[in-house]
Amino acid sequence: MSPTPHFKGFRAVILHRPGETTERLARQLGLLGLRVEERWAPLDAADLPDLVLVDADDGWSGLLPWTPDLKPVPLIALLGSEAPGRIAWALDQGADALIAKPIASSAIYPALVMAERRHAEGLANAQRMADLHERIRLRPLVLGAVQQVMVERRCSEEEAHRALRREAMRRRLTLEQMAAALLSGERMKAG
Amino acid sequence: MMDVFRLGVLFSTSGDYAAIGSDCRDGAALAIAELQAEIGRDFAIAPIFGDPAGSGARYIDLARRMVAEDGCRHIIGTVTSQARKDVIPVMEKHDGQLWYVCPYEGFEANGNVIYTGACPNQHLIPLFAHLLPTQGRRVYLAGANYVWGWEMNRLAREIVTEAGGEIVGERCLPIGDTDIGRLVAEVEARRPDFVLSNMLGPSNHAFLRAMRDLGRRDPRFTPERCPVVSCDLTECELPDIGLGVADGQLATAAYFDSLDTPENRALKARVAARFGTERRVSSYFATSYATVRLCVEAAVRCGSDDPAHVRAALTDHTMPSALGPLRIDDATNHTGLPFHLGRIAGDGFEVLRSQPCIAADPYLVARRPLLSSSHALKPQLRIVS
Repeated sequence: MSPTPHFKGFRAVILHRPGETTERLARQLGLLGLRVEERWAPLDAADLPDLVLVDADDGWSGLLPWTPDLKPVPLIALLGSEAPGRIAWALDQGADALIAKPIASSAIYPALVMAERRHAEGLANAQRMADLHERIRLRPLVLGAVQQVMVERRCSEEEAHRALRREAMRRRLTLEQMAAALLSGERMKAG
Repeated sequence: MMDVFRLGVLFSTSGDYAAIGSDCRDGAALAIAELQAEIGRDFAIAPIFGDPAGSGARYIDLARRMVAEDGCRHIIGTVTSQARKDVIPVMEKHDGQLWYVCPYEGFEANGNVIYTGACPNQHLIPLFAHLLPTQGRRVYLAGANYVWGWEMNRLAREIVTEAGGEIVGERCLPIGDTDIGRLVAEVEARRPDFVLSNMLGPSNHAFLRAMRDLGRRDPRFTPERCPVVSCDLTECELPDIGLGVADGQLATAAYFDSLDTPENRALKARVAARFGTERRVSSYFATSYATVRLCVEAAVRCGSDDPAHVRAALTDHTMPSALGPLRIDDATNHTGLPFHLGRIAGDGFEVLRSQPCIAADPYLVARRPLLSSSHALKPQLRIVS
């Protein structure tokens, strides 16, 4: 069972002109234990909060200092409009969840939970993707090392691969790191 | 200056949880009658009563009629959380104020609702803080198959797990289902230290009767060794269960009929005068009574039934009541409430322990550790060249 999500101590920035929307948000976020800052100017990349809520009706490019594939914090779009261009803008900023305006207080906690989860999943996926890219890039290295072990031990490709993996595990290295070490002249433990 | 205050009174006084709805309605009716007598002729309180009989569609329909046709800006009502969540959009649309008087599962703080019923930091959490060390940490969860049962069971699981205890079983029944054979068999087989029941009405009554029988067959399941505990069982349901049947079982409430305070003695005298001396007062009755007083007195103070004005008139205002001093917290729209643990004895509860007023924390923020900024997930992508 996953524990009840909570946000106590989170710093949230609401990027929206002050008014009823920001008042409602600030009240409810305060209740949920967040520290809230209201702002209607580009966010400072050097001082990012834990969560950003942005006006997608009036938001402009440059308000958020990131590209969507490297969005550093959970992002919630505040949207009253149905205009496709504004929905696209919210997506382009990397919005993890949406709260429709006028804001119903019951929409806020669910959006927070969803945004944090989506953001975490996005990060995990990006990390996994980066790892896979790295492994593909280093594939020739592994193939080279396997060839070398096959020659040295006069064994099959499968056995060579297994030996390489075993040695990598023993040394607590990735397969790719082990392959590089081998190709640079290090010896494997016999057996 | 307002001369008529129209108050919708929307409780299911027929259907599966009629006993609860009837106590809520009677508490409201008593307060309305008294207020009318106190305030005099310049100002009339016009209650509009509605009985949705436990049907979500009828709750919505009646609430809409009350606000859109009858001119009510305030409705006291709904028993289940399902009904409350059904009615809230109507209140939001017409900017009305709903006054909700029943204990519920928390995770809500709507601007169009004033909550005078207890949320989990006022019932379940103090209950388990007492029971886990004294009764044991092997717990069985029984619930009604809707948001109250689901969320209470989920929260109970979280509290028990955090305390190093174990949920030995869990089962939810549809509201009104009295086929509790499997549930009781499971309790018998799993041998919990206690059972938390978040069931409602007939299911709960059937369960309590079956547990009495089980306790007679096997002393391991008497209320002393394996009590059934709940956060919504009150005096008003004891006659339906059968007097004496559930003796020894436990429940929490912000009020019990047996509380010996001057405010409660006064309330009980008024109830006896109107409903007879046999009538036991439940927390539903007492909360509904106090809530109507809070609402109407605030309207009289500000001279308006405009919900914004009424809410403003409640700010920093404390009203004495049989539940102790009541004050609506501006930030949460909830009220602080005392916690009492009662043991069923005949037609009432023997109060075992009490805690003074606990401020409502509907999102359970207080029991959580502060998350530092470093907790927030920020990307740490390795640069791949």
